[in-house]
Amino acid sequence: METIKLRKITSLWIITVLFLFIVNIVLGIIMRLNQGEILHEQPATFYAHMTTHGLTQIGIWFVAGMTGINYLMERYLKTSYLANVVAMVLTVTGILMLWTSTYIGNFHAGWTFLYPLPLKIMWAKWATPLFLGSILVMGVGWLTWSVSMMTQILKKYPLTKALAWQHFRKNPTIQTPPFILISMITLIGIITCLLGAVLLLAMYAAEYFSNGAFVNDALLMKNLTYFFGHTIANEMLYLGLAVIYELFPEVGGRPKWKATWYVALAWNCTLVFILTAFFHHLYMDFVQPVGFQIVGQIASYMASLPAAGVTVFSVLVAVYRTSIKWSLTNLLFFIGVAGWVIGGLGAVIDVTITNNFVLHNTLWVPAHFHTYNALGNVLFSLAFFHWFSIQFSEKTDFEKLTKLKLTLLLIGGIGFLLAFYIGGAESMPRRYSNYPAEFPMAAPLAIGAAVFATIYLAAILIFFFQISKRCLNILFSSSSH
Amino acid sequence: MQNSILILFLVLAGMSALVFTFVYLSSKKAGKDEQGIPNPLKTRFWFLLILFVILGIFASVTIPRSPYFLFADETPVRVIHVSAMQFAFLMSDKAIDPKNPVGEASIELPANKLVEFRVTSLDVNHGFAIYDQSNRLIAQTQAMPGYVNRLRWKFKEPGNYTILCLEYCGMAHQVMRASLTIK
Amino acid sequence: MFKHFIFIIIALSFFFTQLAGAQIASTGFEEENNIYEKVYDAKLNLNNGDNRTLTQLCASKPVILALIFTRCSGICNPFLVQLKENLQFKTDTDNFSVLVLSFDPRDTREDMVNLSKSLNLENNKQWLFATTGDIEKLNLSVGFNPVWDSIRSQYDHDALLVGINKEGYITKKLIGIRNKSDLELLIRSVNDVFSPSYRLPNKNRLFSCFNYNPETGKNTPGLGLLFLTLPAVITLLLLLGISYTVRHKRILI
Repeated sequence: METIKLRKITSLWIITVLFLFIVNIVLGIIMRLNQGEILHEQPATFYAHMTTHGLTQIGIWFVAGMTGINYLMERYLKTSYLANVVAMVLTVTGILMLWTSTYIGNFHAGWTFLYPLPLKIMWAKWATPLFLGSILVMGVGWLTWSVSMMTQILKKYPLTKALAWQHFRKNPTIQTPPFILISMITLIGIITCLLGAVLLLAMYAAEYFSNGAFVNDALLMKNLTYFFGHTIANEMLYLGLAVIYELFPEVGGRPKWKATWYVALAWNCTLVFILTAFFHHLYMDFVQPVGFQIVGQIASYMASLPAAGVTVFSVLVAVYRTSIKWSLTNLLFFIGVAGWVIGGLGAVIDVTITNNFVLHNTLWVPAHFHTYNALGNVLFSLAFFHWFSIQFSEKTDFEKLTKLKLTLLLIGGIGFLLAFYIGGAESMPRRYSNYPAEFPMAAPLAIGAAVFATIYLAAILIFFFQISKRCLNILFSSSSH
Repeated sequence: MQNSILILFLVLAGMSALVFTFVYLSSKKAGKDEQGIPNPLKTRFWFLLILFVILGIFASVTIPRSPYFLFADETPVRVIHVSAMQFAFLMSDKAIDPKNPVGEASIELPANKLVEFRVTSLDVNHGFAIYDQSNRLIAQTQAMPGYVNRLRWKFKEPGNYTILCLEYCGMAHQVMRASLTIK
Repeated sequence: MFKHFIFIIIALSFFFTQLAGAQIASTGFEEENNIYEKVYDAKLNLNNGDNRTLTQLCASKPVILALIFTRCSGICNPFLVQLKENLQFKTDTDNFSVLVLSFDPRDTREDMVNLSKSLNLENNKQWLFATTGDIEKLNLSVGFNPVWDSIRSQYDHDALLVGINKEGYITKKLIGIRNKSDLELLIRSVNDVFSPSYRLPNKNRLFSCFNYNPETGKNTPGLGLLFLTLPAVITLLLLLGISYTVRHKRILI
């Protein structure tokens, strides 16, 4: 059903994402080497890297997930090519604006740009509006894409069917494909948090243009920031899961997974928990009412239940003592789910308020979110990229270097993440350009992390060359396969 | 505490890795006609229930020990006012005037007595994290402009404690620090 | 859909700029001084003839101390009237008493009796009126500095309320005529109820997420929280709106 146009833009997305990912890993390695005192950069430059790395990473893996579901969505319904192009143009524009603000304007307030830091100008004056503008531009692009996709789903499935509510009754007559259900739930969450971002930016704009007459409330701004930031980071993982539901059984040569009442229930619950879990970012702000803190802990715990109980369990059951066709795609999905679970364990430990009291803003935080990104979400998207790129290839040597790539990914990933976890347990603060003498272990750990990250980068480079080559073929081929 | 957290995490992560490896190997060895778990729905139910119970116990044990309830029914012997600003901490026995912020050169506090820190910020968000003599994070709160956070703590051992900023606050965030002497 | 959304944003931005004038710059940091210090144990000459010290008085019930002088032509009278009004409808009057203490050495017991009569509080057991000979030491211990203005023959002073718990520690201070909810926070503090944080006085509260209601000890949602739920509400409306508009175009499955 999918058109050549969609195939081409998907290829373009994949090449863009992988290219920016490589640049981003390099930024990460530079930061670790700076902390390891091998490189000696100005702190402001380090923080500019940090800001760029954070927002670019969020941006590319979000669009990677969207690309995946947009492509697979065509199996069920017609998606808007225009919205896809708009998102592409605005994302690239946004990324360029971001890089201009951080590298020419030296903006370095962090990608979470906690109010009122962006307004305390320590960089070129125009960099703040440009940075906030970059989020606005990307946000509008993604909002257009998400709203358009949601509209297309609703054109085919009535709202209650798209949310699979008919599965709560016995013997439903209509089946909602799990892919549609998860996409729908995730799109709702994405639209909500993007609207939160727009609101946040409006508040910034109000203060910025009022020349100090209007002052925002720091607590509200922090809540809004994490409502957006936490939720988007979480939802992009779920985009990857939608792809797993669609492709994992198919690639393994097994029957398609079906939506059942518990799948429907789990995903509907997830929507609610995801939107309230962000409170855990404010645990150490005692000004937040205690009730909300407790809701934060419980919602964060509960968010793990449907995910673990349904998705992880389904994947394990689908594999356990079942003869399936293993390929690079499947292996990446499978390892990705394991990485997601392990990162999730780190997260559950950190969302416990008593633990957060001694872990908040230490290296434990980047440890856990890098786990379910670098060894989870990235692998989901790589699996899709690989699967997509071999669809239209004449050759058959798709499994070339599979073992090497996976070994490099795992060794590099695990080593790099362990350095973060150990640093967190050693109380090392995150977001420090250089570590004070109190942490003699910090520099050697950072160097070790940089070495392992380089191994991880090697794997990504192989992926990049193999996948990009095939994608370029698709991009420049004149006719369909 | 952090060490036991790390060990707990490594054990859980190791167990998960083992389960995934085991499941993967079982698939590799499986014959064509093997059909996996006979009754996955029932197994799933038990799996979820156990997970739910474990998390429930975890929540009910840890929530009452949250920092918001620490030493709530005692009266502190000292109140230290903390005003964080880019890139320093001002600490004083007296309230700090935001228009003319001055802190004391050094702060000495008694060991094993309840002390309250009233933490606020004069500009952006900062963190107020107390590190003990072995440079382990023992307590923290955030410093938010316009609000005062009350952190109550009893220092067990005399000595020098370091305060670090744990919320990114700009280019000199990594050197923002202060210290306390406990006698 | 987008048009509506943009309209809302523009409308909201306009709303902000309209509200922008309502900012007050004062910080009220003086309230933070002397917290958890012992109040000076002044000897009191109470209207009822009792001669207890301040600490003895607190030991039976926590005290909210109001410092005034009877010849005041300024803030003292409205301050006490406001305090009385705020406390009028409180049902649980058992957990603290109000001590109106003169800081003017010229004030006599008679002056204080007259003051209590003028406020119709002479028979109210919760309200105590007193003078003391130790006023300077007491002033010092609570951080109160009245300045004599010889031209107007008046003291220049703050309207100060000091909360003192049963052990005689200062738990909270309020400067200026304040609203009921701040007063409730003071009452809770003298009864040693811990709240892990509070907002600094006189800051912009328009868009705060929560308004602490100390009467119930709960936070009621503020305008800010409404803002926090706004994205979810808009999404829901968007979802229902799209679902409604596309229902005719739906292809049957």
